[in-house]
Amino acid sequence: MTRRLAAAAVAAGAALVLAACGGGTEAAGGDSQKPYRVLVTGGVSAQGVLAANSGTSILSTKAGADVVNAAGGVGGRPVEVTVVDDAGDPTQALTRIREAINSDAKPDLVLMSGPSTISAAILPVLNQHDILSFCGAPTADSGDPGKFPLNFDLSSPADSVAAYVAEVKRRDYTSVGIIHGSSAYGVGIGNGWEKALTEAGVTVVGNEEYDVAALDMTPQLQSLQSRQPQALLVDGYGAPVGYLLQSKDRLGWSVPMMGDLSVSATSLVTNPPPNGVLGTPQVADLTMQVPKGAVKNQGAPPADEMVAAMTRIGPIPTSLLNAVNYDAVKLAAAAAADAGSTDPQAMAESVTKESVQEAAKTAVYSRYAFTPTSHASNALPTDYTFIPPSTLKDGRFGSGAGS
Amino acid sequence: MTLVWSGLALGAVYALVAIGYNLVYLSSHTFNFAQAQLMMVGTFVAYTGLVVLRLPVVVVAILAIVVVALAAAIEERVAVRPVPDHQTQLVTTLGVATVLNGLTQLIWGGQPLTVPFFGSEDLVSLLGGRVYPVELVLIGLAVLLVVVLAWLANRSMLGIALIGMAEDRDATQLLGIDVRKIAFWVFAASGALAGALGLFVGPKTYAVATLGAALALKGFVALAIGGFGSLPGALVGGLAVGLVESLAARYLGAEFSNLAVFVLLLVVLMTRPTGLFGRLRERVV
Repeated sequence: MTRRLAAAAVAAGAALVLAACGGGTEAAGGDSQKPYRVLVTGGVSAQGVLAANSGTSILSTKAGADVVNAAGGVGGRPVEVTVVDDAGDPTQALTRIREAINSDAKPDLVLMSGPSTISAAILPVLNQHDILSFCGAPTADSGDPGKFPLNFDLSSPADSVAAYVAEVKRRDYTSVGIIHGSSAYGVGIGNGWEKALTEAGVTVVGNEEYDVAALDMTPQLQSLQSRQPQALLVDGYGAPVGYLLQSKDRLGWSVPMMGDLSVSATSLVTNPPPNGVLGTPQVADLTMQVPKGAVKNQGAPPADEMVAAMTRIGPIPTSLLNAVNYDAVKLAAAAAADAGSTDPQAMAESVTKESVQEAAKTAVYSRYAFTPTSHASNALPTDYTFIPPSTLKDGRFGSGAGS
Repeated sequence: MTLVWSGLALGAVYALVAIGYNLVYLSSHTFNFAQAQLMMVGTFVAYTGLVVLRLPVVVVAILAIVVVALAAAIEERVAVRPVPDHQTQLVTTLGVATVLNGLTQLIWGGQPLTVPFFGSEDLVSLLGGRVYPVELVLIGLAVLLVVVLAWLANRSMLGIALIGMAEDRDATQLLGIDVRKIAFWVFAASGALAGALGLFVGPKTYAVATLGAALALKGFVALAIGGFGSLPGALVGGLAVGLVESLAARYLGAEFSNLAVFVLLLVVLMTRPTGLFGRLRERVV
């Protein structure tokens, strides 16, 4: 009896060792025929803008997969994209992600389209299961490799602030005023601007906040007008952008306005009347910050390749600001090539190499400048440009006023 | 003066919402939380008629009146009439407000839509300040509505019946007045008014799915300051809220804007608990 038990224990131990060896081989990416599963979350059934933004995000993922598959896939494995409709709801997102992880088709890579509440809900689960991920809507700590070693952020307010400082200096402004919304993003970017510009020797004459539910910003603008800044830095999204333009017009104040990325994402400024205010005197003083990859004739060749790949699949519903998942798939492919495997840890290590980010030939931003100590996006100031408002065609802005 | 015009225009919008609240309150003692949302629907109908369908202004006005009156009538039948007490009606009308917020976003999306004004859109200088013509129209409309409705309340049979219903619903019914029928039609009329006002409010605020929520609270504060049931009170309350909001944002900072409005509300309620124009009703016990 004792002998039988000992033999069974030895057999069980051997089976465990063999299983472990087998797992190790798979993790190293030995099976080149097995698809590389990319799961992208998005609010497909959400309302309004969120659904449209998710549409662009998902389209860019599929386009990235097509381009990467044409070049041999990720580590030789063909990319297979699965779309998870989270309806813009963190609870639904979490449930669907758990289902996917526990299924036979566990994802190798997860791409989050946003908003950041969904990233915050999903990231701990991905971390728990050692799944590589890219986050289009970062949280406060999603770019910290100490907390989320396998996640990389694809956008960051910090790098857009650096681009503002460079542009303000280039235009020789010595004093600016700031107006921003009361949302977490608005407060963050308003304070970021003030700190960075003050450190750069630019006088910030005022940093005014408005309630995002307010219908008129005349008081805040009048307060800034009285201090006579050379330019106005503006944060706003949706209707508040219209109220800001109306209020400035009402004051008869002619001052250059530099809108942030969220201003450029507002349909009012990308549509001519009667649907918007493009081409009217209200936007005559406005320029908006956008990534060069989202501007016609300003992006590098990879941007053209991305737009071509996306339009082959379908029309692009919103600006290419939401197309960073294309870059994520290309970064994953370059990382797997460098690591010689699709092991998530090895790929994450490779993503932090500058040579890998260069080889990825990303389109929206030329570099994300990930490092071993920071997985936050650190796009170069030169990757941004400031353009007058224009219509969108194939997700891209024109480079001239109203074009 | 530009700041004063901007505050008055904002206040006029709040006053128009408060007038709608009052009409329903007078007829049925119901506080219709969805009144601001009905006005929001009016702005969307105005956008669809003027921009999408390119219909003449008069046709769009009729369309907005019919659509929003219908929405209000449905609300009365579904969320007000079957509910026995006014406290529960607060919940059901709030539910209607939430449904309208969701529906408008589902139909028209989340981005702001421009509602063109059928008059001039060029700024005018007046009394040392600059103001949009539509804002002057909004201020004028708020004043005109209060004058006309106050006149109707005192001179027409319907108005007198309404005052009777506001004072004592049961006694009015004993006099042979069909209070349920009047309450229904006043509810629908408040919707019709909100629909028509959409043509004037939309050019200032855009048609946007967050408009109802933005207007509902300030409209309520205007009503409480002016006094429940008082039409002149709604006007004064609305204009006061708009002015205080603007002046506080300018001279104290935006973070004190809402705070100043609620300080005003507290001061008014502490000195006159029924609001500036509200009447204290004595009850025989």
